[in-house]
Amino acid sequence: MTRAGQIRRRAVPALAALTVGALALTACGGGGDGGDGGGGGGDDTIQILVLKHALTGPMADMAWVGQIEEAAGVTIEWEEVSADWEQKKSTMLAAGDIPDLVVGTNTITNSDLATFVGLFEDLSDDLDSLPNVTGMFEAVPATEAMATQPEGTIFSLPSYRRFWPETGTRQFINQQWLDNLGLEQPTTWDELHEVLLAFRDEDANGNGDPNDEIPMDWAPAGDAGFGLFQPTVLLGSLGLPISDGGGDGYFVEDGEVKNFLVDERYRDLIAFLHELYADGLISQDVMTQDYSAYQSVARGDGDTAKVGFTWGWAGSDRVGAQLAGQYAAMAPLRADDSIAESDLTWSYDSYLLNYGVNSITMSAQSDNKEGALAVINAFYDQDISLQVLWGDFEDNITKVDDSTYEVLPPADESTDPSTWKWTTTLADNGPGWIRDDIEVALPADLAEAVEQSEPLQAAIANVDPATDIFPSALIKMSQEDLSALSINNTAIFSIAMQRWATWITEGGVENDWDGYVTEIENSGMTQNLEIHQGYYDEFSASQG
Amino acid sequence: MTAASPTQARPRPGAGAQLARHARRYWQLWVMAAPAIAFVAVFAYVPMYGLQLAFREFDFTAGLTGGEWVGLKYFQQFFESPQFWTLIRNTVVISMTTLVVGFVAPIALALIVNQVVNRSRKKFLQTATYLPHFISIVVIVGMLQVFLSPSSGLITRVAEFFGASGGNLLGSSAFVQVYVISEVWQHCGWNSIIYLAALASVDTQLYEAARIDGAGRFTIIRHIDVPALVPTMIVLLILNMGNVLNTGFEKIFLMQNPLNLGVSEVIATYVYKIGILSNQFSYGTAIGLFNTLINFTFLVVTNQVAKRVSNTSLW
Repeated sequence: MTRAGQIRRRAVPALAALTVGALALTACGGGGDGGDGGGGGGDDTIQILVLKHALTGPMADMAWVGQIEEAAGVTIEWEEVSADWEQKKSTMLAAGDIPDLVVGTNTITNSDLATFVGLFEDLSDDLDSLPNVTGMFEAVPATEAMATQPEGTIFSLPSYRRFWPETGTRQFINQQWLDNLGLEQPTTWDELHEVLLAFRDEDANGNGDPNDEIPMDWAPAGDAGFGLFQPTVLLGSLGLPISDGGGDGYFVEDGEVKNFLVDERYRDLIAFLHELYADGLISQDVMTQDYSAYQSVARGDGDTAKVGFTWGWAGSDRVGAQLAGQYAAMAPLRADDSIAESDLTWSYDSYLLNYGVNSITMSAQSDNKEGALAVINAFYDQDISLQVLWGDFEDNITKVDDSTYEVLPPADESTDPSTWKWTTTLADNGPGWIRDDIEVALPADLAEAVEQSEPLQAAIANVDPATDIFPSALIKMSQEDLSALSINNTAIFSIAMQRWATWITEGGVENDWDGYVTEIENSGMTQNLEIHQGYYDEFSASQG
Repeated sequence: MTAASPTQARPRPGAGAQLARHARRYWQLWVMAAPAIAFVAVFAYVPMYGLQLAFREFDFTAGLTGGEWVGLKYFQQFFESPQFWTLIRNTVVISMTTLVVGFVAPIALALIVNQVVNRSRKKFLQTATYLPHFISIVVIVGMLQVFLSPSSGLITRVAEFFGASGGNLLGSSAFVQVYVISEVWQHCGWNSIIYLAALASVDTQLYEAARIDGAGRFTIIRHIDVPALVPTMIVLLILNMGNVLNTGFEKIFLMQNPLNLGVSEVIATYVYKIGILSNQFSYGTAIGLFNTLINFTFLVVTNQVAKRVSNTSLW
């Protein structure tokens, strides 16, 4: 073998080895570049991560972004996230690699704030540079309570939307079906049962097929608790006050924090729902369908409605514009005659709907603190707040004068106002402060929701947010308590949600109830209630 | 490495000299293997330093490895959790059923495909059975939900037509069956490829000799095909045993609904909910480590058993 050949034979693997090394080096280099993400690029560049709704278009298309840049004297670089945030977040936060600002309602949760201590800027000593925020704290004291940690620090700011109704769940019955069958709107559970039986047996929608009516349907419950448009609102028929559609189940009675998962009224509700299910009155898919199936089934087929009795945000949103006219917003039901009209309650969701907790959070490592604070302040400006919520002036809002505004119908006539709002701007995900002293002509979807809440008003008024519900939005807990709660909740809800689904579809709640209560209490409910009680006592003492 | 030591009259060189000689002689091989070694080191061994999180309190300010040492606190918390036995039971039932059915089905399929003589039909059969492997999990779960819907599902309707009202196929009673059958349906064809390759290497003279001796189809399968597959079967079985508690996270997670949660909550989905979604990093790591240890034990035990019983093993 020639010497040249020997050299070549040695050179090839050596080269290969070098290449591998180089690859490893570049990989490290790439990581290094990402590492200074929190620092921001140039002097006047602010990096913002924004969590958007899947429908929302690019930030560059929103004219209010330019107004913020101008007001704050910075250039904004957006990082736009609209999917899988839960997974991305944990790794991003654990790596300590966050941009100057994080925008989006509850994008950074209370649990994140408690876990990642030191990652976020304490805004309580920067309030001098945030006049709009201090203004909001004064005008709407609840926002200050939502922002402030037990030690007085402020890591994240809420938004205030003012015009939303006090409940997210409205109750609908197909009035046309009632009229076709000569029936009245039910006022008690028994009457509801009768009406649903008629829906099942007769050809209520008049299309010649008596079997295609689904008498009752509701939104799928997750495996981590209850939410809007779910039958937990019927707990109000028994006088049990709930908030946020049910949530984790906490409520307050006579100063004592309780959880409806272990309350006998919840058992009675399940027993009633099982009666309905056993009679074939509830959609068979109710436990297994996803939200989009739940939506599309109720849209029916042209002018033929499919669902008789259901819950939703607003008529046109729930059953589609074409069928909305058939449905009537209905007052709460009483469980039976022993419940007085004045005992009725309905889910109180104002903290969820009119406020957006933790809507903007600032990095503690920001290079350009003044710039970032100026951006925060600009978000809470009167005009910008409105545009973040409903879209740009001229296109989506007419500014009549300094305190009068009119939200315009969608420029694209084929979409509904709600979809339009989410398409053109951050909408409910954005930070902002809608002033209490301005006049706004509301968009059609919101006006409809407000109007359809009318029959529920008396029942909602029976819920006193100060003494009947656990004000979780206003209370900040310590990390230790939050992790105890989250571990317990995972255990509790994996039992509770499965029993809820099984009992409704297969029955058996009466016999299994006592064992279930013990099981839930042993899974951490007892500890959870103690934790909640402690915070609640502190909270009510501070309220005077 | 041991086989490489040449017979030499000189006294045994020291370990250093031996290593140097080994490096001089085989360094090209080592360089070629270097990327693989680097890959395993960087992505499998280096991250293991994070395992100490299972024994520490996660403290963001102190960094990944700086938290307070709490020993086995999180393991204890998991063992004492009311969820523990449910999780173990669900995980074992799902993964064992998948393992057994998913192990036998590809072998059966390979034996059947091997019996098809016509070339084009054989190809068609093979393609048709392994195509589902390429459907994404999300789509598979979507299909399951459509076909098995209790009110409008195709399969539910067919079952009803034949008089079976088996209740909700998306509910808890049918969850394991639905999961396993769909899993096997999806991957059976793909997994049979390796067995088909093993069968292709069987000497055709054996078949001819058997036929001359008057052996029928089943006798041939039993005495020629199956013995040819045994070594492949054992290696695959050992490898599968190493994943015994690793149920497919995505598919189970997507198939979960309130009705089947009692049987569908497995260790993988629980770790995701607790560790990632609820920020319980230490607790999540501890459960994950426990899971890995069980898998490792299974792998070693199966390997030892296989070594004893059939003389085939990984090491």
